Amino acid sequence: MNNAGNRRIYLSLGLLSASLIAFQLALMQLISAVQWNHFAYMVISIALLGFGASGTLLALSRKWFERHADFALCSLMLLTGVSMSGIILFSSALFGKFDTYLIFVDFSNVKYLFLSYLSFFIPFFFGALAIGLIYIRYVSRIGTMYFADLLGSGLGGIFLLGLLWVLYPVQLPAAVAVLPIVAGILIIPKAWFGRLIIPSLLLLFLPLYLVIFPSELPVSEFKSISKALNMPGSEVYMERKSPYGHIQVMACPSLRYAPGLSLSFKEEIPVGDVLYVNGNWFGPLAGRTEHDESHFLDYTTHNLPYVISESGSVLILDGGTGLYAGHALWNRASKVTYVEENKKVLGLLGNDLAFQIDSLFSDPRLSAIGLHSRSFLLADTSRYDLIVLPPIESFGGSSGINALEEQYILTLDAMSDIWDHLSDKGMIEITSWMDYPVRNPLKILATLVETLEQKGYMEIDQHLIAIRSWGTISFVLKKTPFTPDEVSSVRDFCELMYFDPVLLPGITAAERSVYNHLEDSSFFSSVDHIVSPERDSFYKNYDFNIRPATDSKPYFSQFLKLDRLSKLHNLFGQGAVPFLEIGYFITLLTFVQISLFAFFLIILPLFFTRWKGKGKVYTLLHFSGIGIGFMFVEIIFIQQFILYFGNPVSAASAVLSGMLISSGVGSLVSSRFKKSNRNITGILFLVILFIVFYAFMLTPALRTSINLPFFLKILFSILLISPLAFFMGMPFPIGLKYLDGQNNTLIPWAWGINGCFSVISTVLASIIAVEAGFFWVMLLAGLAYGFALMANIFR
Amino acid sequence: MKYLYVLFAFLILPWSTQAQDYKQEREKMVSEQIARRGIKHVQTLDAMRKVERHLFVPPGNTRMAYADSPLAIGYGQTISQPYIVAYMTQIIEPKSTHKILEIGTGSGYQAAVLAEIVDKVYTIEIVPELGETATDRLRKLGYDNVEVIKADGYNGLEEHAPFDAIVVTAASEHIPPSLIQQLKEGGKMIIPVGSPFLVQTLMLVEKKKGKLSTSSLMPVRFVPFTRSRE
Repeated sequence: MNNAGNRRIYLSLGLLSASLIAFQLALMQLISAVQWNHFAYMVISIALLGFGASGTLLALSRKWFERHADFALCSLMLLTGVSMSGIILFSSALFGKFDTYLIFVDFSNVKYLFLSYLSFFIPFFFGALAIGLIYIRYVSRIGTMYFADLLGSGLGGIFLLGLLWVLYPVQLPAAVAVLPIVAGILIIPKAWFGRLIIPSLLLLFLPLYLVIFPSELPVSEFKSISKALNMPGSEVYMERKSPYGHIQVMACPSLRYAPGLSLSFKEEIPVGDVLYVNGNWFGPLAGRTEHDESHFLDYTTHNLPYVISESGSVLILDGGTGLYAGHALWNRASKVTYVEENKKVLGLLGNDLAFQIDSLFSDPRLSAIGLHSRSFLLADTSRYDLIVLPPIESFGGSSGINALEEQYILTLDAMSDIWDHLSDKGMIEITSWMDYPVRNPLKILATLVETLEQKGYMEIDQHLIAIRSWGTISFVLKKTPFTPDEVSSVRDFCELMYFDPVLLPGITAAERSVYNHLEDSSFFSSVDHIVSPERDSFYKNYDFNIRPATDSKPYFSQFLKLDRLSKLHNLFGQGAVPFLEIGYFITLLTFVQISLFAFFLIILPLFFTRWKGKGKVYTLLHFSGIGIGFMFVEIIFIQQFILYFGNPVSAASAVLSGMLISSGVGSLVSSRFKKSNRNITGILFLVILFIVFYAFMLTPALRTSINLPFFLKILFSILLISPLAFFMGMPFPIGLKYLDGQNNTLIPWAWGINGCFSVISTVLASIIAVEAGFFWVMLLAGLAYGFALMANIFR
Repeated sequence: MKYLYVLFAFLILPWSTQAQDYKQEREKMVSEQIARRGIKHVQTLDAMRKVERHLFVPPGNTRMAYADSPLAIGYGQTISQPYIVAYMTQIIEPKSTHKILEIGTGSGYQAAVLAEIVDKVYTIEIVPELGETATDRLRKLGYDNVEVIKADGYNGLEEHAPFDAIVVTAASEHIPPSLIQQLKEGGKMIIPVGSPFLVQTLMLVEKKKGKLSTSSLMPVRFVPFTRSRE
């Protein structure tokens, strides 16, 4: 191939890789917007097995593909683009027929779920087949090819980030589909050029048409936005697109927001507009309350801190649409700092939606900060009289839907940071919906109690008050002991509002259940156990995980104990557990499905080749080890940098792009190495050393530099990521080159193994993080590279 | 002529067999899903035996009508699991003289069950299409003591208040103050809290001597979460 031909294949490969990464992110946005995002996670994880399946097919039909490589490469890229576009047309029919929400009650939905697996699998399969074929064909230049692949992937993430500002979720997959079609056109073989160029150019019209005239994807009727739209007079009157999600603002004349309202409230709750992000409830647009009116939040347990003492300076974390900030202002706070990570929403509230919230943001006492709450706390040095945390759980419980969401504001480490921001008489307030079996309130209590003890306060009952309504429970933690007057005010408030105290200095058992009776009164003894010094044995004996979350295991909403599955099954009845803890259950289900498919895909070629033979053990160990290791490190980096940047979108794009591009450069440099065993063992050894070093040093390094300006933070993160990523980019091309010299029939199998294990490891990393913490995921990444090292030493 | 009788018999036979099948399914539903789980209120059990649930579900779902689960009826709404309907009915202790308000008509099934027991049922549905269908269905089935009102149920029904019991079938994040005011002294209100297909807790509000109290009754899924005592 001449130089121009070389350039075209590199460019083509880069475009294809960019499209596959961008398509994956686009699908996540789209399926989350129209269905449940946990099913999006499951469907996409399984669809990504297209990478593993491509290796299996290449291993089985290698000769045919090699004979027709030029034509096959071009066709596969075109097919990738067409199937990416077609998926939108197919999905609109598919999602019109089933709803993932109903999957556990109507089994006819299961066949559609498998159909959705299959349909989303196809573009990844075609794309990966093309990449695998390029690696087989151009194995002598694998270092440069892999560089083009990784560089393309890195830029693909950034490309989609840009698209999110200008396109709606339904337009994204089609926009991405342009890339592989262009990639295919670039490498049309000379012999076919005359016949293929016009049809290929015409193919571009399909995605372009779907971008300009997007098809309607039916949104699940069970999503909160659909339910609100069913009410008479509801209409979406404002829409905005951004990487922070698809924002919709709705006027809904029948929607009145007053969660957990006291039964003693006798006035009318005003109707207000509502803001949705990706079809999910984000918050009401509540205006200011005038001082001759009453604020409905005064009639909820959330009002507890304002009953205890006058508010001075207030910090509202994860402030949403500003409802709680408005409440603090109404309670005459001298200064309110309101932190919300969704900058697009903040921008709208300050400008386009200012009228709907009565220009709340123009109040001179209010400062709005667009940052992740925890990042704000890490960088801020002010002190506050009251810090209000976001309400926990949704109404009626979410059945563990958020189990795998990292909640860095609800960890023990976060609570310690929050405590350090309190003034001398400062208070922390947090409210949760009551659930059954009780999990959320107990875990919050455990977190608050352990925070007090960590700070050297052993008389817990003097510093912690909790009150309960028919649906919610609020906790207030105070730095100084509660005075008799404060305790008396709380009692009066409970009496007036039909609330019951749960924790109060001098409380009696009878006081705890005057107005709101619980069927299962074991809740009170659970509370007492947690407050007592024997809480550790209570944690162990309780059937759910209520031990406080930590920064290493930031999954506050993960309550499932795997060793209690059979006990829970006996206690709560057949099939109940998935309903109680659906989030983690879906992750486990995804892992089982992927592992079964992957096992099948990996062993299938062995039935057609030979089970024994040179290089098979090496191939399995080397390519699975580096597949797992790479993904584990990538996931840890993303988690760590979310806090560092205060924004998951910036973190994911900085880390992904930085890692992939640095690895690409590493791959390029590795193409100059000779086929020496010493090189690869040395590189793998270095990677392991780096990983172990980062396991201990990454968090402290990021903590000490968190106050740097944004530009320097980007520079620092690239400096941190690049050295390790540079070396991590080398083992894959070096491994393929080695196979080329030994037994090149194993190259497609190696590609498939790497693909399968990369997908398995993303899900596995979540499970390990939940069970053991991020530190162990990092160390296990080192262990995975250790397997690859052993394979190279004994090859 | 005799051939006509034979033809008529062939036409009518499958129909009556099907009706018989549904009756058997209803009996089975009451004995296995409801009575076995502790519902003892005789009038409730009789009403559940009588109301033809398969006529309240969308046509494509009739085969699932007597299954131990809720069913989607469109517009993000559901017809509750039979056990929940029975449980909610029993807990308000309906009497033949009672006047009951239901918020969230949905399919009209809960209203029909109540109508078998009490004197008058007012039921309010906010989704106009669902309200229309339920009105037609209840009229055709002869439930003259049910009045379906297509409106926002938030403010209850002042002109017919107070009510002996209020049944809120659509879960709400707060209990509307007007509903509490429209509850008779000694009256009961029942509300499900949570997701129809995941876990719900049933909440009872009682008004006694002018004071209000609530009870979290029990979480329910398809089967009650009867946690055994350790």
